Order: sequence, then structure tokens, then C-alpha cells
Amino acid sequence: MGNHYRVVIGAVIILAILGGILYKGSQSTVFYFTPNEIGQAPERYLARTIRVGGLVVPNSTKWDPDAVTLWFTVTEDFNSGIRVRYAGPKPDMFREGQGVVAEGILDERGLLWASTLLVKHSEDYKVDPKQVTDKKMAYKSLLRE
Amino acid sequence: MVAILGWVSLAGLAALGVWIFAFTPSDDLMGFSQKIMYLHVPSVWVAYLAFFVVFFCSVGYLWKREVLFDRAARCSAEIGVVFCGLVLATGSIWGRPTWGTYWVWDARLTTTLLLFLVFVGYVVLRAFAEPGEKQARLAAVIGIVGFLDIPLIHVSVQWWRTLHQPSTLFKVGEQGRPAPSLPPEFLWPLLLGFVAMTLLYAFLLLYRLRVAALEDDLEQRLARQ
Repeated sequence: MGNHYRVVIGAVIILAILGGILYKGSQSTVFYFTPNEIGQAPERYLARTIRVGGLVVPNSTKWDPDAVTLWFTVTEDFNSGIRVRYAGPKPDMFREGQGVVAEGILDERGLLWASTLLVKHSEDYKVDPKQVTDKKMAYKSLLRE
Repeated sequence: MVAILGWVSLAGLAALGVWIFAFTPSDDLMGFSQKIMYLHVPSVWVAYLAFFVVFFCSVGYLWKREVLFDRAARCSAEIGVVFCGLVLATGSIWGRPTWGTYWVWDARLTTTLLLFLVFVGYVVLRAFAEPGEKQARLAAVIGIVGFLDIPLIHVSVQWWRTLHQPSTLFKVGEQGRPAPSLPPEFLWPLLLGFVAMTLLYAFLLLYRLRVAALEDDLEQRLARQ
């Protein structure tokens, strides 16, 4: 009987720890903040490195190849957004309307000075329309590139 | 019989390679790097399956104290570690061109790494701790607790804001109906990947079980001398 109690107590302790991690995690573990969260209380996000995630607003992008600097606006709802200045090469997967996560420091004017730019991938997959029309084998077109 | 299983799974993987590179169109956004999905996602499945077998056999061992359960759990964990490592490696290789980074500490990636590390620890324990019932009991507990991370990995992309995208295959459409979000051109080779990788797992497990039985037999003979 004593052995059974030990197993039960051990299981309860482990489950309690797991539950605690889950509870804590579900409250604080966000990989990025959204532009609206920051817009509500910008002063809370100043003077530290933060990640901001959202969609790139169409026609908001400006790429300066000489300065290797990319400007764009991220938004959640296309009403308000945060302007981002990213110093670095433009990622290949960067598109307007695409989800991105920018990491940097927010200044008092609400501009995010980003040093890292990650592109989110959506869960939706689509066939490349070019390949369907010309029916060429995928690897052949790749070798030519 | 076991060898046939191995050859069939190898043939399936070879056919998958030809299919995805020569006859499957590329993804609209990602292009060529999307093809790693056909390896990444089936590896996830096999890792989950292998660790489920560990979980099941560990419960079985604690309940019935049957050596066969313990042996199966030990063998399956080794294979699970290999495939879980494959998941992390392929995901990382895919992440660089797609996200722009090999690794981030988001909830999905972190919980997956945790799974890998728990079972690396499990395999190390089985290799170096004093063999016997005590080791088997301890390993069974680790195997059960480690498995509990898998449901967490699965929901991590829904519960937390992550860089990793939510599930494509388990996507829910309007009115809660399942709506996998990939075209049939991608789905069919992916299904072949699932079948071939599952057969490969079955082959590896059966083969490993045979070796483990021989190992145990040898140890008993040596102990008797």
C-alpha cells in the first residue's frame, strides 16, 4: 500500500509542476507583441528589445539598397500600425501582406528600430501557378536558375 | 519477413524522392525549400508514434512487470530520438530560407527540443545506469512523463503566439469542419511519406527488438558463467 501512495504523490507533484508551467506559459509566453497591444500603452514597451508581429501593410514598403535599410508598417487590423526601420538585407520571403516578426527597440515617436526581421509562414500551401501552366519538371527549372 | 519490411520502406522513400523532385510542383511562396516538408512532417509523426509506444509499454511494464514491455520501450525510445532529431534538423534547415533563422525560442520549437532532450536523457540512462528492475522502473516513469510533452507540442501553436505556423493538416474550416490547407498535389506524396516512414519505423523497431533479445540472452549467459 505504501508503494502506491508514493506513486500517487509523485504523479501529483509532476502534474502540479506541469500545470504550473502551462498556467505561467499561457499568460506570459508570447513570442511577439501585436501593434495594437503596443498602441494601447507604448510607454510600457520603450527602452528594451521587443518583438513586434503583424502583417506588412501593402504599399508601405521602402527598400533602400544603398543603405541596406528596409522601411515598412506592420499592422493587425489595417487601421493602425507600427512603422519599422530594419537595418539589414531584405529577406527573400518578405512580401507585402505577409506576416512578419521584427525585433528591435521602439523609440518615443513610435518607430521600431529593428535589427532582426523574421518572416512568418502561413499554414496554407499553394501550387506555384507558373509550374502548372508550363508542366515542366520542377527540378529542371531549378537547375537552370 | 523483417527484411522485406525494410526493403519496402526503402523503396517507398526512393519513390517519394522521385515523386517530389520530378513530378510534384513547387510551392507558390517557398519554392524548392517547401519539399523538406515531405521529410519533416512524417518524421514528426514517427517520433510521436515511437514515443507513444514508449508511453504504452512503460505503463504496461509498471503494471505487469513484463520484461518484453521494458525492452520494447527501450528500443522504441532510441528510434524516436533519431526521428525527433531529424525533425529538429529538417525544421532548422527549412527555417533558414523561410523565416530567416535556423532557430528561435518560440513555444513550438522549445517544447520540441524539450521532448528531444528528455528522451536523449532516457537513452543515456538506459545505456549507463546499472541494469535491472530499478533502472527499468525509473526509465518507465521518465518515458511516461516525457510523452506528456507531445500533446503540449501539438497545442503550442494554438495556445501561444509562435513563429511556427499552426497545423496545415489539422486546420479547421468554417463550422468547425476539418479543412487541410494544402493542394492534392502536395497531399498525396505527403501521405506516401507517412506510409514509408511508418514502415521504416516498424522495420527498425522489429530489428532492434531482435538485437535487444540477443543482447539480453548474451548477458544472462555471461552472468551464469
